[in-house]
Amino acid sequence: MRLFVLNYARDTEQLEFSAPYTYDSGLQLNVLADGRIAAHDQGLMRELGATTSTAGSKTHFDD
Amino acid sequence: MTVLILTREQDVTADLVVAQLNRTGVPVVRVDPADLPGQVALSGEYVHGSFRGHLSAGGRLVSMSGLRSVWLRRPGVPATRTAEPSAWLTEESSQALYGMLRGTGARWMNDPDAARRARHKPWQLRHAQACGLPVPATLITTFPQVARDFAERFPDLVVKPVSGTHPQEPPRTVPTSRIAPDTDFAAVAFGPTLLQRRIAKTADLRLTVVGDRVLAARKAVPSDAHPDEVDVRYAASTAPWQPVDVPARTATAVHSYLRGAELAYGAFDFVEDADGIWWFLECNQSGQFGFVEMDTGQPIARTIADWLAREEPEAGPRRTGRIRATP
Repeated sequence: MRLFVLNYARDTEQLEFSAPYTYDSGLQLNVLADGRIAAHDQGLMRELGATTSTAGSKTHFDD
Repeated sequence: MTVLILTREQDVTADLVVAQLNRTGVPVVRVDPADLPGQVALSGEYVHGSFRGHLSAGGRLVSMSGLRSVWLRRPGVPATRTAEPSAWLTEESSQALYGMLRGTGARWMNDPDAARRARHKPWQLRHAQACGLPVPATLITTFPQVARDFAERFPDLVVKPVSGTHPQEPPRTVPTSRIAPDTDFAAVAFGPTLLQRRIAKTADLRLTVVGDRVLAARKAVPSDAHPDEVDVRYAASTAPWQPVDVPARTATAVHSYLRGAELAYGAFDFVEDADGIWWFLECNQSGQFGFVEMDTGQPIARTIADWLAREEPEAGPRRTGRIRATP
């Protein structure tokens, strides 16, 4: 009993990675090792796809 | 007055807005409901006909009466990062947190009840129709024969999940996919299936609407793109998103959509056909925006921060954002 739509499913890419930033509860921001705000590093954000329309698909309805 | 942001720690898109609020000196408290109880604590007192509530997280303490707005961004499920999580504790924590917050005068982006309704794609399609937006012919069914009949009427179809989510056991990705002409629809009986006429698109469009402001972006489809490549999220194209003007009729319709949905924020997905018609696909009430901002330079985070920071007079509990229709 395979749902019709699942005939079009793909294996999920393994997105497990060690993010090069950590959440700073004092700043309430994710920061890089050198203290910069991670979200302002556009090159890094593009590389990780952390702000793309597929980010968070695993846990949220809204892309 | 403080802005409360409900989201996960890993949400770097929310960081863009936190940084904007910090820049303008607006107090912010960021909370992941998954940490309640534990890292996040709350208290609310209903005495002598009044309510006094407090919320603390990360060493910050905020009075619920001191909240100017709540950004329901990507919150974790309450009580799932506690020492002894359980479904019951999740319900208890959810009722305590969201119940108290609903009783404040804070403005919501987006109101939790409105957000829940707005996540339903079938509701979105009907609401979009009612607002005058062109919606591709769509069928949601568990009847294989109805699906076959629909495929005869509309031979070029795509399929996508009704919920917009992806299965997790095991984790799989389900992009919007084109259906071959000789497809067997028998498996439609095993679960609600959403079939939609494929629009031969010349571009994808993302309209990020914040209050009364529309920030629109267009991503052109390369002329040599394969017609099977229907889902922009997984397309090979490296064409950037670029700012685009919004036709007045479309702007009016999306404002009408958000007003009717009682949403202050919505990320609309459209596709443009060769005749220039913008076809509505969906409206994600908490859609991502960082990738559009990076390509276009549009100040989406700043616009969200401005909306959250705006001071408005009290008008009773559970207010949502007011949307002014574009003339």
